[in-house]
Amino acid sequence: MATITCRDFLAYLEPWMEGERPPDAQAHVRTCSHCSGVIKDLEAIHTEAGSWNASEQDAPERVWTALRAQLEQEGLIHDTIPAGEGRTRAAAPSAGWFAGLFPRLPRPVLAGAYLAALVAVAFALSGPVNKRVNEARWLKGTQISTSPLSAQLNFAEQNSNSYVSRSSPVVAASLHQNLAIVDNYIALCEKSVSEDPQNEVARDYLYEAYQQKADLLTQMTERGENVQ
Amino acid sequence: MSSSHFVPVQWLPKTNWKTAGLLVPSLLLCSAVSAGPKRQEQHFKVAAHPVITIHNPNGLITVKAWTKSEVMVISTPASDRIEVDAEQMGNRVDVSTRELSDSVAPDDMRADFQINVPEDAELQIHNDAGSVSVANVLGDMNVETVAAGVDLEDAAGYLSVKTVGGSFTCIRCTGRIEASSISGNFRLLDLRSYHVWAQTSSGNILFNGEFLPNGTYSLKNYSGVIELRFSPGDSFDLSATSLKGKVNNEAKLTPSPHQRHFMPRWGNALFGTFNEGRAKIEMTSFDGTINILKRD
Repeated sequence: MATITCRDFLAYLEPWMEGERPPDAQAHVRTCSHCSGVIKDLEAIHTEAGSWNASEQDAPERVWTALRAQLEQEGLIHDTIPAGEGRTRAAAPSAGWFAGLFPRLPRPVLAGAYLAALVAVAFALSGPVNKRVNEARWLKGTQISTSPLSAQLNFAEQNSNSYVSRSSPVVAASLHQNLAIVDNYIALCEKSVSEDPQNEVARDYLYEAYQQKADLLTQMTERGENVQ
Repeated sequence: MSSSHFVPVQWLPKTNWKTAGLLVPSLLLCSAVSAGPKRQEQHFKVAAHPVITIHNPNGLITVKAWTKSEVMVISTPASDRIEVDAEQMGNRVDVSTRELSDSVAPDDMRADFQINVPEDAELQIHNDAGSVSVANVLGDMNVETVAAGVDLEDAAGYLSVKTVGGSFTCIRCTGRIEASSISGNFRLLDLRSYHVWAQTSSGNILFNGEFLPNGTYSLKNYSGVIELRFSPGDSFDLSATSLKGKVNNEAKLTPSPHQRHFMPRWGNALFGTFNEGRAKIEMTSFDGTINILKRD
């Protein structure tokens, strides 16, 4: 049986969540705590997400287009669009294994799940790469895992801002103020990691700050949808 | 046409103008009151362990326990453009605020609540702004807010509080406590809880409670101050780490007999045991200050 790496396993993620589990992928999950952790996280998201309310309205189509494009670009999911169909349709959560993961969910909730999954996957995969390399590669590994996150979260932030503008001034002000606080912590943690790339505590704080931002953006989007 | 129009102004007695001056605003006030939002009181008979959910965008929510097997909801909407729905489904009472038209301004989406529930009630409260205050409720509780502060007194059960910027105060709580926030300050006073997990980013955390045997107490922030108070008779294993900030300690700690701690490569850290080390305390900060101080 061929041995696969963590990066190779990315290609198996989508079929894995759909129930297809080739022997080499199973062997990898058995021996790799990081990838088995990613699987557990995704399954937990699936379970948790299934209990959420499905009565909310859809987020703009462009959110799904961008999220899917980003995930595809990072190799985290594959494009399952039939040749004749356009990108916009494929971007909706009705396509691909994420649709199977979250069959009954409203899109704002899904957006949060995507962000959370993105954060979890990126950091889980950065671990094994970083542990066995020198400081420069630690830094590079961190940057590789955080740069797409940062871009994705910034994009989600733009959408959230438009939603929040319809909330009450007190709530909108609080959300914006706290988003700025989280952004500031991300910047501080990134600075710490760049100064000392092997500092695990700083990396943990950076991870949590990103997670916090993803949670907050999800909350902002949901609040905006509720106000609509 | 009123007869007063035939009377020259200078002939009118001054007192009549005074009366009119008082009367007109009063009439306006009366008409405003009669057309405005109305206080509403509703009662629901419930069995043991009822569940009460409250969804409100903005307002003051006060929940108190009483001895009756009944839920009483007194609501006061801030505007006649919104209404409060309170309905019972089995042993569950759902209270929510909703707009009556599409053009309700965000500031009008406000309602205040005074709610009485049985002691064993389970509460699920969402209130973005304003405040949430709960006293003497012993059932599980889930409170989520954005800017609203949360005050719990004499609560038990599994207490889960999540705010964005709202503060959280828990006084004499005995349940399992999990609280998270971004900028909210936490004050955990006179607790008797076996499990406390509190995390805020820029807020301060004050813990002044008992450390129960086998209890776990985890306090974490990015910046701000984490302050923990202890008495000479307390018993705990302590771990306190601030990556960029200071750790100030007044407890005489001995090396932990339960586990070997290795000094971390980063930041300022303190590990050790106080008395028998029955409880476990973990305090972590990025660049905040951690104070471990004797109780006054």
